[in-house]
Amino acid sequence: MPCQENFLLISVSFAVFIIIMSSRLKAPLYLLLLLTWEVSSVYASESGAEVRWFDPATLPTLVLSIIAIAVVLYTIRLVQSGRKLSIREIPGLKAVEEAVGRATEMGSPILYTPGWGGDIQRPTTIASMNILSSVAEKTAHYDCRLIYPTHDPVIMAVAQEVVKEAHAKAGHLDRYRADDIFYISSSQFGYAAAVDGFISRTKPASVFLLGTFEAESLILAETANSIGAIQIAGTDSTIQLAFFIVACDYTLIGEELFAASGYLSQNSMILSSVKAQDILKIFIGLFIVIAVIWATLDPSSTWWSF
Amino acid sequence: MQQRLPIAVCFIAGVLMFLQYFSPHPVARAVFVTINDYWQIIFAFTLLVGIAAFVKTNLKQISRGKDTPYRLIGLAGLVLMPVLALIGGIKIDSPFQWAFENMLAPMQATVFSLLAFFVASASFRGFRARNAQAVILLAAALVVLIGRVPITEMISETFPKITFWVQNYPSMAARRGILIGIGLGSMTTALRVILGIERTYLRGE
Amino acid sequence: MTRLKTRWVIFGGLFLMITLSYLLNVRFESVASPEVQKSYTYIEDLPEGSVIMVSFDHEASSLPEIQPLALVVLRHAFKNNLKIIGVSLFAEGTAIGYRLLSQTASEFDKRYGTDYVFLGFKPQQISAILGMGESIRHVFPEDYLGTPTDEIPVMHGIVNYDQVEMVVSITDGALTVHWIEYVGSQYHQQVMAALTAAMITTYDPYLASGQLFSVVGGLKGAAEYENLLGQPGGGNRGMLAQTSAHLYVIVLIIIGNILYFRDRKRGKE
Repeated sequence: MPCQENFLLISVSFAVFIIIMSSRLKAPLYLLLLLTWEVSSVYASESGAEVRWFDPATLPTLVLSIIAIAVVLYTIRLVQSGRKLSIREIPGLKAVEEAVGRATEMGSPILYTPGWGGDIQRPTTIASMNILSSVAEKTAHYDCRLIYPTHDPVIMAVAQEVVKEAHAKAGHLDRYRADDIFYISSSQFGYAAAVDGFISRTKPASVFLLGTFEAESLILAETANSIGAIQIAGTDSTIQLAFFIVACDYTLIGEELFAASGYLSQNSMILSSVKAQDILKIFIGLFIVIAVIWATLDPSSTWWSF
Repeated sequence: MQQRLPIAVCFIAGVLMFLQYFSPHPVARAVFVTINDYWQIIFAFTLLVGIAAFVKTNLKQISRGKDTPYRLIGLAGLVLMPVLALIGGIKIDSPFQWAFENMLAPMQATVFSLLAFFVASASFRGFRARNAQAVILLAAALVVLIGRVPITEMISETFPKITFWVQNYPSMAARRGILIGIGLGSMTTALRVILGIERTYLRGE
Repeated sequence: MTRLKTRWVIFGGLFLMITLSYLLNVRFESVASPEVQKSYTYIEDLPEGSVIMVSFDHEASSLPEIQPLALVVLRHAFKNNLKIIGVSLFAEGTAIGYRLLSQTASEFDKRYGTDYVFLGFKPQQISAILGMGESIRHVFPEDYLGTPTDEIPVMHGIVNYDQVEMVVSITDGALTVHWIEYVGSQYHQQVMAALTAAMITTYDPYLASGQLFSVVGGLKGAAEYENLLGQPGGGNRGMLAQTSAHLYVIVLIIIGNILYFRDRKRGKE
């Protein structure tokens, strides 16, 4: 058996062992494993034809997925055992309080928009919703108007619930205005033109651009800059990040946007997944270093290529 | 039950879609195709939600007398385009195609073209040699700007080569690092949603 | 100079530069980059009758940049008698895609249904992309004009990506990433992108890893492709404007830094 498959099979077995040992569902998992083994061998023998349940070409992806899931489950277990986790200071998120305070002092609204590029199923949008919850709670507390234009009606519906819950949590449900969270258009530049017009007319003191943005990012950022608003931005697009870094006061780079929900809420379960991200990054970094050294010493090797 | 049912559905759907990726079996393929079809149908209904939200918001603002002419034009556009398509069809010489190409496309392109002006003003404001990192950013921007125009190719072949090197080595290395971080963040967020830890989509919890 | 006046000067200057550029008829000889050459060579080497899928994954806003790209790729494909299956995963790309396909087909006397077909728009991009991997007919039971897919001659024998030589994604956004990540990895289908210049760097990692076959990027890419094809068009037309705009921004950056150092010096004094 080639070296690569040996290595992968050992990794799969080890990862599955970690999952089973770290889980309370030991008995059902053992049963599931047994059933899977039985089904795959029964199906192969009955049909006679080569109809497999598992595609061997996807084995590397499965192994890496299991390792990643195992790391996440491990960090959840760590938190459940009482370990305290903390995140380093993120300037963009630290500035949220400053942005809300500025808007309150100036008597201007806050504009928060999730960008045009994503819908509710996108992890970036979910991360943005978490930050929205925190911002909405602060605006409810300070009685500052929060305006949330969006391009997607489902995001609008979820945002309305998020903001309403945040207002209720702050004890100021009476300050919640559903009309301030509205759907504009699914068209990219229809949305950008409308938000631009809104920024120019209402002159918000603080603008939050957090979510998935595409070409409209610089249009929105420059318009907000032209009215002197403080801007906090974050996106998963590396192209638009460059525009935000040039045009905005604070930018959440890369996974800082995803760490935001843990940072702002200090929820231990969310912090555990942020910790898992860090552990996986270390694994990836080590893997890259080993692969680079190996490929340099032996250019004909391909074990690191999936 | 109100909380548990969506979380259970989310978990089952997430696990199923994860497992089907690894299986070429006809059962797995059938499950995948079925869920895909459901996904498309659900998306079609969200368009209806969008239309309803658009009409509701605009009618409400019109009743308050706010920006009435613009909102009426917006509503007219919403009604007119499907009517044109139903009456005149959608072929090349149809009224629908004419309206799309002579009204919608130029309006969209006009707003997009604002980007060129904003890039110019952002460049004027943003690329200042304030410190060492800013100087590196400035130098990289100038190299890429110079290398991407044909006139500099005619002067020397070195310019495009330097641009290629900047774009494909240091810039790509940084981008890959950010992409890895974003990928991990997306994965853990998705995992939190599937495991029911992240419930933002359920009433903001 | 106040902030507002500075903006107006910058905007006015850029507007003048680009307007003057379009009034002059100057053509640049663009040497084809390796990626454009690779794209051209691949389509040139495809046997007659090969089927390619062209997906119009863009908005109407980027039409001025997308149109030259789309036209040059379609012209090359029709010139080499390739069969084209057109689809659109963006609503706005649908009408544009249909028009561009029809317009280019008429230049080469190609017949709808026999030489090309436009299947229309499907929402939920990932779902549509993955669905076509199993069955294109299942995702598009009818074409854009309402004809059942089974009755269209060019679709005979086409089940899924296995019968398609290449997917060409004409895009102004990140949608091609879905083609690469789902179709490329799961169905091992080759993907080529014709995209706006702003998106080129997004796809550089995929190009380097080989997940994306090749790229024709921006007006410059269109100009290079047009020169290879021997048919100058919108790409070449826009080169002077693009050059002058780039040079203008460089001058702005230099002026900005001069003003910055002057103000810093005055501040110290």
